[in-house]
Amino acid sequence: MTTPVLELNNIHKAYGDLEVLKGVSLKANKGDVIALIGSSGSGKSTLIRCANLLEQPQQGDILFQGEAIQFKGQGHDRQPSDAAQVRHLRTHLSMVFQQFNLWSHLSVLENVIEAPITVQGRPRDEAIAEAQALLDKVGIGDKGDRYPAELSGGQQQRAAIARGLAMQPTAMLFDEPTSALDPELEAEVVRVIQALAKEGTTMIIVTHDMKLARDVANHLIFLHQGVIEEQGPPADVLDHPKSERLQKFLSATKA
Amino acid sequence: MRGFLFCMFESCADPSSLTGLAWFACYLTNGKHLLFYQSFGTVLGLLALAAPLALLFGFAGALAKRSQIPGLRQIGQVYVAMVRGIPDVVFFLFVPLLIDQGIEVVRHYSLCESTGPIYQGNDFVVCDAAKMPLSSAEPWVHSLYGFALALAAYAIVFGAFAANTLDGALSAVPTAQLETARAYGMNARQSFVRIQLPQMWIYALPGLANLWQILIKATPLLFLLGIEDIVYWARELGGTKGSRFAYPHPDWRIYYFAALLVFYMIMTWGSEKVFNRLQVRMSVGQATLSGKGAAL
Repeated sequence: MTTPVLELNNIHKAYGDLEVLKGVSLKANKGDVIALIGSSGSGKSTLIRCANLLEQPQQGDILFQGEAIQFKGQGHDRQPSDAAQVRHLRTHLSMVFQQFNLWSHLSVLENVIEAPITVQGRPRDEAIAEAQALLDKVGIGDKGDRYPAELSGGQQQRAAIARGLAMQPTAMLFDEPTSALDPELEAEVVRVIQALAKEGTTMIIVTHDMKLARDVANHLIFLHQGVIEEQGPPADVLDHPKSERLQKFLSATKA
Repeated sequence: MRGFLFCMFESCADPSSLTGLAWFACYLTNGKHLLFYQSFGTVLGLLALAAPLALLFGFAGALAKRSQIPGLRQIGQVYVAMVRGIPDVVFFLFVPLLIDQGIEVVRHYSLCESTGPIYQGNDFVVCDAAKMPLSSAEPWVHSLYGFALALAAYAIVFGAFAANTLDGALSAVPTAQLETARAYGMNARQSFVRIQLPQMWIYALPGLANLWQILIKATPLLFLLGIEDIVYWARELGGTKGSRFAYPHPDWRIYYFAALLVFYMIMTWGSEKVFNRLQVRMSVGQATLSGKGAAL
């Protein structure tokens, strides 16, 4: 049996008294595409942000390729104790954000080469060549010299995906990648994500888009109030929801 | 041109024989006027040195204020609060005096053979070897020392305002931009240098442009510190000159000050243009009003 790429065990996260995650576990093997669904406030975004330590869980383990992230402190003071380990995790898990978060002072191409050069220390020429190839791949090869604000939302999100791929990550994390987009622009981004899934890219996707979840994921997790309510192959879970909450959630999203 | 000027100087040997344009040409090129023109250089030199120094103090102040280290943070806060709360003129008189006497006290205890008390009655007395500059020093050393003290005062005062502007600008950078830097593995220094600092400028620029204008307008305070700046010379040269002077004339101060008005207007108008250009250039492609304007 191979080691899972990413394993989250019994993750607890609270903001003050508000418990957002109440013991969630998740395992992503190489090539898995895991979709996280659930209503707002269910904790799905918090969970994916815990995966690369943008949020620190107060309890629970994060294992990247079998290696557990070291923590120090307790409760709200719990912090990762090894900066190099955190950097290793983050450079191997590329995050794509709902609001794209392209660096606004850099051109699209500069956005894509920034972390490979600054963080990974790759040679500039090589980084540029790879960035151009990735921009071509996501269909905005002609936009490299434009600034993010000059692009449509769909183009910005595809640029953000190219930025993520430029890290040559072990897995991609998507935090509601299509939620800020019009249906038309959404389709451009979905096509890119589908292409990545076909290539066997390991992905964890937080989404509101049931169609995206059904089409690309091989495992679907329904979160409700900080716990996993139901999970399994997307077709099974979406077509034959067992829990009443998921049934309610699905009928609400269909309307 | 040089030859012409030279001729003019020769013909200026006896001012009383001159009339009309020749008189004026000689008048405007006499020794005192050359010092007047030089004092414009003093003002420009002060601006050229005070601006980067103030920016340096500003960065130091802003970083201290934002520091996680408790002691440092308080120093930054006190620095900014003090300078902003005390009238500029008071500070301009205080800082050079403080630095000057501070240096002399230190020198007094390290250089003097017999270290008597510094305060003797109402007098501040240090031994000759501790004087700054030494009384034997050349006059230019004295003026340079005075200029340096003034420069320090400008840097400290304007640095505090710059610190506040830079602190605000650093805080104005959206957290999502910095969070993304972290998410891609940047450490605190990389995220500061690569993302926060370059994005900060666009928020800082209007405030810094303002400060620069105020700095230009504050240069006459040099006069207050006993430096022979353009205001000093305008008063000196413009005043009524009786017949015992080589170039007697009535009270012309109004013309001299009008010349200063023109000088300051050109300076501020010109720098306004430069800053506007800078703003446009930095805004290219940014999702701001000026950015969109520039992109069209």
